[in-house]
Amino acid sequence: MLLHLDKADTRPLHEQIASAVRRAVAEGECRAGDRLPSARDLSSALDVNVNTVLRGLRELRDEGLLEFRRGRGITVAEGAARRSGLQIRVRELVAEASRLGYSRTDLIDMIRGLA
Amino acid sequence: MTVTGKDAGPAPHGRAGRRWLIGSTAAVTILIAGLPWAAHGRLPGRLATHWSGGGTPDGSMPLWAASLFPTGIWLLAALAGSVPWRRSRPTARPWRAMALAPTGAVLLGAQVSVVRANLGHADWHDARLPVLWAVPLVALAAAAGVLAWRLTTRSTAAPADSAPALDLPEGERLVWFSRTANPWLSLLAAVTGLIAAAALVALAAGLADPAGLWPVSAVCAVTSLAGAAFSSVRATVSETGLEVSFGPLGWPARRWAPAAIESARAERRLPSQVGGWGYRLSGLGTTVMLRAGDCLVIRPRGRRADFAVSVDDAERGAALLNALRTRRPR
Repeated sequence: MLLHLDKADTRPLHEQIASAVRRAVAEGECRAGDRLPSARDLSSALDVNVNTVLRGLRELRDEGLLEFRRGRGITVAEGAARRSGLQIRVRELVAEASRLGYSRTDLIDMIRGLA
Repeated sequence: MTVTGKDAGPAPHGRAGRRWLIGSTAAVTILIAGLPWAAHGRLPGRLATHWSGGGTPDGSMPLWAASLFPTGIWLLAALAGSVPWRRSRPTARPWRAMALAPTGAVLLGAQVSVVRANLGHADWHDARLPVLWAVPLVALAAAAGVLAWRLTTRSTAAPADSAPALDLPEGERLVWFSRTANPWLSLLAAVTGLIAAAALVALAAGLADPAGLWPVSAVCAVTSLAGAAFSSVRATVSETGLEVSFGPLGWPARRWAPAAIESARAERRLPSQVGGWGYRLSGLGTTVMLRAGDCLVIRPRGRRADFAVSVDDAERGAALLNALRTRRPR
């Protein structure tokens, strides 16, 4: 599995880690059921605190991309590839909207108005 | 005595290597066959060739047999070692030298011991063997084996120039992870661990004879630990270099900084090429073999042998390692 991290990224580290793993899942670096490197391994390879790594991974679990299983470590959830692709685009949309001065509520309203 | 150097020639490929092999085989043959004849004036008619545990001789041979018998064994071994086996690959070759060198050392050492024990006696029944005669023999064989290994591994193919390299985007950090597990080794570890534990319980309860059970328990415990350590392996390539860690605990681990690596590549390897599963030393260098197939192979700087680990996606791991290696530090 290859993780990309942008050195110029100014977002909090846990978000950067979450988006790096999200991208890896979306690009098929790891498939459903695959085991992720342990939080400890990620932390030492990325030179980031373990708790920060765990925070990023927990975000992805809440998005339904990862599953935490006792004894089996962290695995990629079923259907995560499709979901992560969509997640990435939603995030890009939110970021673009905020750059243009639209709040999330504005964005939600716009989506509702599509129907 | 110059025994150790004899057939430990450089890798037996190429004409020079073959000449070396033939020359050293002939030299050992002449020494083994000729020694009894060279000293025959001071030897009894029959030579003591076998000793009982107490050091008294219990077997003998006439001079010609004492000369020809070990020579025959040596020639058979040399012949078996030099037959170009149909299935042997170039990588298997160092094993021939490594098998032949200690064999020659032991046979020659034994012949020297026999002649020396019989020297100056009128009757073979008087010949005595020094008490610790086997110790130098074993040491000699080990030295010959090690020397053969060092000499034959020197000429492993130089790292290819066409090593893959990844395009490393400026301002981006890449980290590569890979993991391989071998469920059979986990099973082996579990089964032997259970036997070791059961044996310990039986010992503690006084259910069985301690003399018979201790070795069983110890051997099973060691097998279990080794099996567990090599049941899975993780390889990580980051800016700090390559880290290979073993077992569920990630310990032991080996690390190389990017600057300590001369080159990295991916290669297909089979357990039959490296001598089995687990942590293997062979003519190919060190291989951590958990399954047949793709291996990440590195050549550490200043070393003549490679280090390889069987992990998936080795091509990209090697490419990233090469990119990190050639990139100038900021």
